[in-house]
Amino acid sequence: MQFTGLLLDTVFMLAGAAAVFVTVLYLLKLRKRRIEVPFSPLWGRVLADRKSHADWWRRLKRLLSWLLHLILVGLLGLAMAGPHFKDEILQGRHILVLIDNSASMGAIDVSGGVDRLDMARRQAIEILEAVGGEDRVMIAAFNNRIEPLSPFVSEVSLLEGPLRELKVAATGTSYEQALGFAADSLRGKGQAELVIISDGAGLAGKSFDVIDFGPETTVRHLKIGERSDNVAITAFNARRYLANKLDFEIFVQAQSFFERTIEAELQIHADGRLVDTKALTLQPGEVYSQFYPSQAVSGEEIEARIRVTSRDARDVFPLDDRAFALLPSKKKLQVQLVTDGNLFLEGTLLLNPNIDVNRVRLSEYDVDAVYDITIFDRVTPPISDRGNFVYFAPEGELSPFELQGTVTNPIITDIKKSHPLMRWITLTDVNIGQSAKLRRAGRDEVVASSFGTPIIMTRSEEGRQMVVVGFDVRHSDFPLRVAFPVFIFNLLDYFALADQDFIQSYATGETWAVAVARGLTTAKMHPPQGPPVEIPVFDGRAMYYGEAPGFYRLETPQSSVRIAANLSDVEESRIAPNDIELPEIEITRQADSMVFERYQIWIWILLLATLLLLIEWWTYNRRVTV
Amino acid sequence: MSAAQKEQFDESFLKKLEYLYIMSKKVVAGSMRADRKTRMVGSGIEFADHRHYSPGDDFRNLDWRIYGRTEKLFLRMFEEEEDLYIYFLIDSSRSMQIGNPNKWDYAKRVAAALGYIGLCNLDRVSIIPFSSKLEGRMAPTRGRNQVFKIFEFLNRADPGDQTCMGDAFKKFVSQNKRSGLAVVISDFYDPEGFEAGLNFLRYHRFEPIVVQLFDERELGVNFHGELQLVDCETGQVNDIIVTDAILRQYVKAFEDFSQELEDYCKKRQMLYFRAPLQVPFDELILKIFRAGGFIK
Repeated sequence: MQFTGLLLDTVFMLAGAAAVFVTVLYLLKLRKRRIEVPFSPLWGRVLADRKSHADWWRRLKRLLSWLLHLILVGLLGLAMAGPHFKDEILQGRHILVLIDNSASMGAIDVSGGVDRLDMARRQAIEILEAVGGEDRVMIAAFNNRIEPLSPFVSEVSLLEGPLRELKVAATGTSYEQALGFAADSLRGKGQAELVIISDGAGLAGKSFDVIDFGPETTVRHLKIGERSDNVAITAFNARRYLANKLDFEIFVQAQSFFERTIEAELQIHADGRLVDTKALTLQPGEVYSQFYPSQAVSGEEIEARIRVTSRDARDVFPLDDRAFALLPSKKKLQVQLVTDGNLFLEGTLLLNPNIDVNRVRLSEYDVDAVYDITIFDRVTPPISDRGNFVYFAPEGELSPFELQGTVTNPIITDIKKSHPLMRWITLTDVNIGQSAKLRRAGRDEVVASSFGTPIIMTRSEEGRQMVVVGFDVRHSDFPLRVAFPVFIFNLLDYFALADQDFIQSYATGETWAVAVARGLTTAKMHPPQGPPVEIPVFDGRAMYYGEAPGFYRLETPQSSVRIAANLSDVEESRIAPNDIELPEIEITRQADSMVFERYQIWIWILLLATLLLLIEWWTYNRRVTV
Repeated sequence: MSAAQKEQFDESFLKKLEYLYIMSKKVVAGSMRADRKTRMVGSGIEFADHRHYSPGDDFRNLDWRIYGRTEKLFLRMFEEEEDLYIYFLIDSSRSMQIGNPNKWDYAKRVAAALGYIGLCNLDRVSIIPFSSKLEGRMAPTRGRNQVFKIFEFLNRADPGDQTCMGDAFKKFVSQNKRSGLAVVISDFYDPEGFEAGLNFLRYHRFEPIVVQLFDERELGVNFHGELQLVDCETGQVNDIIVTDAILRQYVKAFEDFSQELEDYCKKRQMLYFRAPLQVPFDELILKIFRAGGFIK
């Protein structure tokens, strides 16, 4: 038995004084009411009859009455002492409730709630309703990061609002981060209690390091979820063809997490239109992969959907049944070739169906004309401040590259093979009749050189990118080699920057850094659902933490960038609930054993005292104890 | 004399007495005016009874015929004709004063009513209040017009203190040599018992008529709990815890007491009437006449 009320010394003193007072009252002669009767001998007869048993009964009644009042004094004293059961927790506890709101908590394999998160929310609210007045409760949501919903507060009703607003985040789960946060939050707190409400998805076979939650910390795991029935799109993206980088291919991967064979249907939608469907039979755990060539997809917003078609099977996790990808606009590069005639260049460019080539003579050249790429063949006219320019055998004073004469029969000795221009080709045995002797400036990058003399260089300036090839292709055997058209394609790719600007899909649960124009401080992000959000821009990159899969649109005054985001987390699709196991820590699995109630025994003691008083009152009025 | 006391014997009361007198004539049909006989044996001519001879008796009354048959001396007795003396002994003790109305007032009304009827019958009526002693005495008087003297005496009668019938009646018999009816109107709450007083009357050839008054309110007391019961006359204190069971026992004790009184009277051929205050006094008067023993 524990006591939280008045000090026991005080209680004993008060109860003792009251007991003495009661005893004194009983010892004092009772001042009785005097009634005048006409003939007392008649009463004497009555008394004579009852006298035999009246005396001991009277004494007994007085003794019982005295004992009753002593018991009442004792009960009141006990109530003042504030008794509690021995195993009852009396001091205010620090209770940290960690609620998993990762993607797997969106599974609907629960009864009594909408989804796992809804069940977790209900259990958390039940806990809040049961805590004592001196308890301090903190609630934090965790997925692949930690989001504290409150500090430790005793006014738990304030926590219900944030709890109800908690939503499933289409992200992975970082249990290590959550447990580390819990350890940091509870360490040093008295009567600490950690309650993890999670499905434990993805924990199968996972082990943790020893975590120090502090002494006497109780760790509980309330497992949510019942089944693992799920089929998911685990990968979905678009990429360039290796052979033709101006076209794209789509890759989709699906996996079944059912424990039996199921029938499913995989659909590909482009701009909302169904463009392909495929019936699948998936064995337990089977991974299905499929490529889609670009010819089959003509849209820009590509979406893959998978659904279970077996009648007796149900996919309980819809969040990973859709995946999103973006294809760049199918526009052709506008290329201007300024030359007096070069069949090798013209022929190679004309062979490429993804570009429009406009050949002009130097006299027809318009410096203000806008092209994606302008190729100067043996001419160096004035150029604008913005654009992409390629020089073959530059000459003249207007050459942006400084020329230091010529070099005859140069042999290319050094090649920067990692440069995009040099992909899949080699120039070591190219025979060149004559090449300009280029001088490398500060930010120029030498791609190929002959004994230190740059032969091919690139330059990046504000608004302009340039590539210079020092020799005339007609005075070399380069056009006769397979490497020449590849080099031209590399050249076009280098300016198109397709690898960097397009196709990039973002994973939910990460902070995205999207390149925007420099100088901006904010941008506006349009998520798949909900109103647009203003997001910060740092150093030319807009920062945004994406939690929902789907298509986003990032708007700046200068541009509008589309973004596709996917869950892309196999562990989250593996929704089978698991128990959290921590080394050297015993984890309680049941919520029933949680002693959140505080038994106010003093109330029952007062009720008992009141009951005794009522019995005494009743017996007195019924003349039983008079 | 308080106004309330005066009102006890007002004109309406007198009318009620007239009514009672007429009713008594109907009830006691055949009785003759001025021809009342006492039960006393004396010097009359009508044989009444025999008794053993005692030294000093008049030889002339010896019944020689019986002596001839039994060789024992018996004295012949004759009924003596004389005026009937009616003594109203009214208990004026404090136990009669309790309550409102109380037994004392009721007793005075009863005495006045019976006295009036006695006067109308040309009997000699005397009224003596008593407690432990005689609290005054109205000398025997005769004649209907003396009723106001009775009223006046009763109005002036003062309450007494403690009941002691033995002492009071001892004094009474010593003061009143002429025997007659002795109508004792009392609650008979005598700590020393009623027997002594009544025996005194009987032994001195008075013919007692017992009228026991009681107040039903005394039986229906509504006090409970731990009390001190104080005797209104003796001041004796009884500590008692009054419960419903105790009250039931008290009622039974009263009934036993009354029954003892009644049995005592019947055994000794005394007329006995029990009258609660809650019964109008005229009903009691008629009841007494119906009993037929008050006036012959």
